[in-house]
Amino acid sequence: MSSLTQLQLELAAFLRKRTLLENDRAATAWAEAALTGSSSLSPVQQLEIYREQFWLRHTSSLLEDFPGLSGILGQRAWERLVEGYLERDPPEHFSLRDLGARLPAYVADQSWLEQPSLCHDMALLEWATIECFDAPDTEPLDAAELQQIPPEAWTRAACVLNPALRLLQVDYPVAELRRALKRCRLEGGTVSYPDKKPQNLVVYRRQRELDVASVSNGAWDLLECFAAGIPLLEAVEGVVTRGHVTESELGAWLTALLRDFAANGWVARVELR
Amino acid sequence: MSPRRVRGSTSRLRVPLLGVGVGLRVPHYAHILRERPRVDFFEIISENFMVDGGKPLYHLDCVLEGYPVIQHGVSLNIGGPDPIDREYLTRLKALVRRVKPAWLSDHFCWSGAGGAHLHDLLPLPYCDEAVARLVERAHMVQDFLEVRFALENTSSYMSYTQSSMTEWQFVSEVVERADIGLMFDVNNVFVSSYNHGFDPLEFVRSVPHERILQIHLAGHTNLGTHIIDTHRGHVHDAVWALYRETLRLAAVPISTLIEWDDEIPEFEVLMAEVERAKREQALALGSPAGAGPELDPSTPELSAGAALGARGWQQGGPRETAAGD
Repeated sequence: MSSLTQLQLELAAFLRKRTLLENDRAATAWAEAALTGSSSLSPVQQLEIYREQFWLRHTSSLLEDFPGLSGILGQRAWERLVEGYLERDPPEHFSLRDLGARLPAYVADQSWLEQPSLCHDMALLEWATIECFDAPDTEPLDAAELQQIPPEAWTRAACVLNPALRLLQVDYPVAELRRALKRCRLEGGTVSYPDKKPQNLVVYRRQRELDVASVSNGAWDLLECFAAGIPLLEAVEGVVTRGHVTESELGAWLTALLRDFAANGWVARVELR
Repeated sequence: MSPRRVRGSTSRLRVPLLGVGVGLRVPHYAHILRERPRVDFFEIISENFMVDGGKPLYHLDCVLEGYPVIQHGVSLNIGGPDPIDREYLTRLKALVRRVKPAWLSDHFCWSGAGGAHLHDLLPLPYCDEAVARLVERAHMVQDFLEVRFALENTSSYMSYTQSSMTEWQFVSEVVERADIGLMFDVNNVFVSSYNHGFDPLEFVRSVPHERILQIHLAGHTNLGTHIIDTHRGHVHDAVWALYRETLRLAAVPISTLIEWDDEIPEFEVLMAEVERAKREQALALGSPAGAGPELDPSTPELSAGAALGARGWQQGGPRETAAGD
């Protein structure tokens, strides 16, 4: 290993330490050997400037991206969570946008959290929101195009979902809670933890605007089939088999549902396979 | 103004002279798209637009309809021990194809090691090994992106015992050997000169002026023991003096950018800074050769101390995130 590479690997490890380097003998000794210091800063004080920025930059980026989760936790628990996260899962991607990609999984592992399921649901919602925010653009499918598919082609037709759409099943009404927390941050006041209320959520972007919708079990089932690439007819048969709708209701139910999906821009196109 | 119109060109590097521009930042999007202000060009932070779709690319396309845009990066990690990230370069090239910038820049720095990304502009030791690493990679980046590439001198808060040359010797050697441009940040020269106790004029006088394809100007925050490159507030007088001296030595106008990334003010405030840069440019290029700059590097400045917010220095201003949805 070259001396330059070794220097950088050692320095990077110090910058990721959670505690002040000035109280760290190893850091002080390293800095005195590797850094010159200045007339007003010792070598370890120079190193500390960069260490502090590592934590400030990344924790503030996560705070910006997870306003709901940080709102549930409050200052002290939020700091404990994100510092632990950055220590276990250091940033690897060049973009700060991806910094929170593994936060939902990390939250799921934290047994010390007061409301672990609520926190996990919120983390999932907020990461899905980030993913939808800058996912590829697509023109939504026109409902009329769906009607033009000849009946004999339905066995081969598969609905492709908008790439700026994510499906989530949550135990708590986190979308409402997130809105309330953001309102509270602007206007003051308090927000109570909500009771359990399982929901099927569709997080999506239509044109450039983000939204979250709660859908029925039948609609969810159908959307999951679309996401898995299952052809329309097979997906619909599955929905009937699983008891979400009866055969006699199916026609009207499906027509209304597909019209809603198209109106929300959830289906990007129909592919004949 | 007509789109993509440029005036003249800078010698040697054969890049167009774009005038005086500003950094494109999220708080100004609505104003820019509504008012279409008379700005010579915008500079974007590449990483904020290396995405697949949504608002960032929509806003970028709207700006591209009316203005020349150049790209400035903060995450290339050209001096890091890890190989350059291929995904990064591929995404950057896709953005280059969309933007068609006259040039593209990043920094003389490293940003990560051992697979971890630190998202900072960490200074390199000024040594032969670092020169060799940067020269080889700068060549490769410029060839791959097929656009004129430049590196910017950074502000720094630490210096290494491994360094065997000055920062200006390091910068000069890399740009000459790699045959790339120099993105010359005169505010960074001032900040580093204060932090490391060197003469900023020696830096300004020693770099290859014919390779400067753009100049950055910004505000900074003096904490007493050191200065932080916050990109907050107006350009300081001492930095304007370095700007004039740089132009006087180059003896040609150079595309210049006003950066303002923290406590971002109304757009008109930036435009006033743009107008000042134009006046300073005229003053510098109209002044008789040999006239020295009015510079006192020890000029006391307002100490912001505790007023420096938790975010400290930033690169590129706020991201356009989903948080405000």
